[in-house]
Amino acid sequence: MQPATPLPGTQDLLFEAARRLRRCEATLCARFEAKGYAEVIPPAIEAADVFGPEAFRALDRSGRLIALRADFTAQVARIAATRLSGMSPLRLYYRGSIVRRVAPDSGPVHERLQAGCELVGAAGAEADAEILALAAASLHALGIRGRISLGSTGYFSALAAAAGAGGRLAAALNDAIDRKDLPTLRSLCEREVTPGKARDALLLLAQPPRPQTEAGELLSRAEALAPTEDALKALQRISAALGAARSLGAELEVDLGEVRGLGYYTGIVFNLYATGAPRPVGGGGRYDTLLGRFGDPRPAVGFSLDLDALVPLAC
Amino acid sequence: MLTIALPKGRLQRPALERFAHAGVVPEDEPGTSRKLIIAAGSSARFVVLKDGDVPLYVERGAADLGVCGLDQVLESAADLLTPIDFGFGRCRLCLAAPRGSSVTAELGRSLRVATKYPRLTLQWFGRRGVPVDLVHLAGSVELAAVSGLTDAIVDLVETGRTLEENGLVVVDEILQVTARLVVNRAAYRLKVEEMLPLLEKLG
Repeated sequence: MQPATPLPGTQDLLFEAARRLRRCEATLCARFEAKGYAEVIPPAIEAADVFGPEAFRALDRSGRLIALRADFTAQVARIAATRLSGMSPLRLYYRGSIVRRVAPDSGPVHERLQAGCELVGAAGAEADAEILALAAASLHALGIRGRISLGSTGYFSALAAAAGAGGRLAAALNDAIDRKDLPTLRSLCEREVTPGKARDALLLLAQPPRPQTEAGELLSRAEALAPTEDALKALQRISAALGAARSLGAELEVDLGEVRGLGYYTGIVFNLYATGAPRPVGGGGRYDTLLGRFGDPRPAVGFSLDLDALVPLAC
Repeated sequence: MLTIALPKGRLQRPALERFAHAGVVPEDEPGTSRKLIIAAGSSARFVVLKDGDVPLYVERGAADLGVCGLDQVLESAADLLTPIDFGFGRCRLCLAAPRGSSVTAELGRSLRVATKYPRLTLQWFGRRGVPVDLVHLAGSVELAAVSGLTDAIVDLVETGRTLEENGLVVVDEILQVTARLVVNRAAYRLKVEEMLPLLEKLG
């Protein structure tokens, strides 16, 4: 027999570590409930097509491809689009663990503890702001200082489309922007993108983040360069969300280079950073097309928190 | 307080020059001091590491930023920001083989390749659909091809003299390497007030 230790990427939580996790979960759930969110507990396994290629998959006895939960948002979207179809707005929260392959279709499998909220059926900037404020309030409730970095996947896609950058070039641009690698971004743009507004706007994406109070200047510079209606709309959504989320103050910053997020995000995206954690401790965004996959096209926005990272920091 | 991962070896002197230019000067000489952590005024300190360890220290937040070659950034696959290309430490990651051998045509079997860069090597051959029998070595990679352990090597080439003196020639270039500034993703946001002025002076 193999030595009986947990698999890499998984862990046993004992005694005080278990108590801390449950305390944090209780704190977060109380906060979510106070804001009118209701808990849903989806199953640990689903039909594999609910998730992306990062899910850990297996065949059941009938030969059907099933997967371990790799993402709560997709499950909540399935629930909202089927059993709760037509009820708007819906405020739902969840907590539990997800299991993912580190790299799609390969690599070791990791388990992560999460909690999060989804606001379904609300398309406006107020909904974006509600989710941003609730994400910030969640960190506060745990006694953690943090920052929210707000961007938009919609803006990057609009610029890439306007610049005629598809496939490999779009992926290379996205990677350079994600790494704030201005030298690479510049040389890609100079070699492979035709000069024009779209190229100038792409070059702005590796700029450092701006605190909310100074974001207006960056956004109006970007708006002046917006090459298409879609790009302009994406920027206006960021401005509108900022306007509606005034109360967040210095904790919120705008980073047009915040292009990283799950594949189904369509509008604003954000990542949460906490003092003491070397990686983002959570994130979220707007996903207006995901519910349509389950037959009930409705807009939605949400966030999730990485409890493995947050619990050790919580007081 | 910013913690800066400083590489040992050939990148150290030019890296220190750039930091000195930005007003960050270590209080002891990192090349001779036995100290592992060296203060640099009240706002920064250096940790001195092998350059291959720099990406992991920065990714995991033990250092907020650091200097290492692009080869190490990509080989580590660490999730980092890379905002500055310093331009020094210029060299190339190359596929090299004994003069006169036919590495590219030899597709009847897996190619045996020795390297200190298993990830980049497998990626490069993978994209070309060439199966590789990889030999992961810790040093003296040229010897592998010279002694017949492998058909070819993947290694850094600076001047090409070592290759030449051992009867090896460059078959293909895999990557142009220069020293990069690597920055931790969270530190970039959370220590932005200290980080951005320093990045501006370093850039």
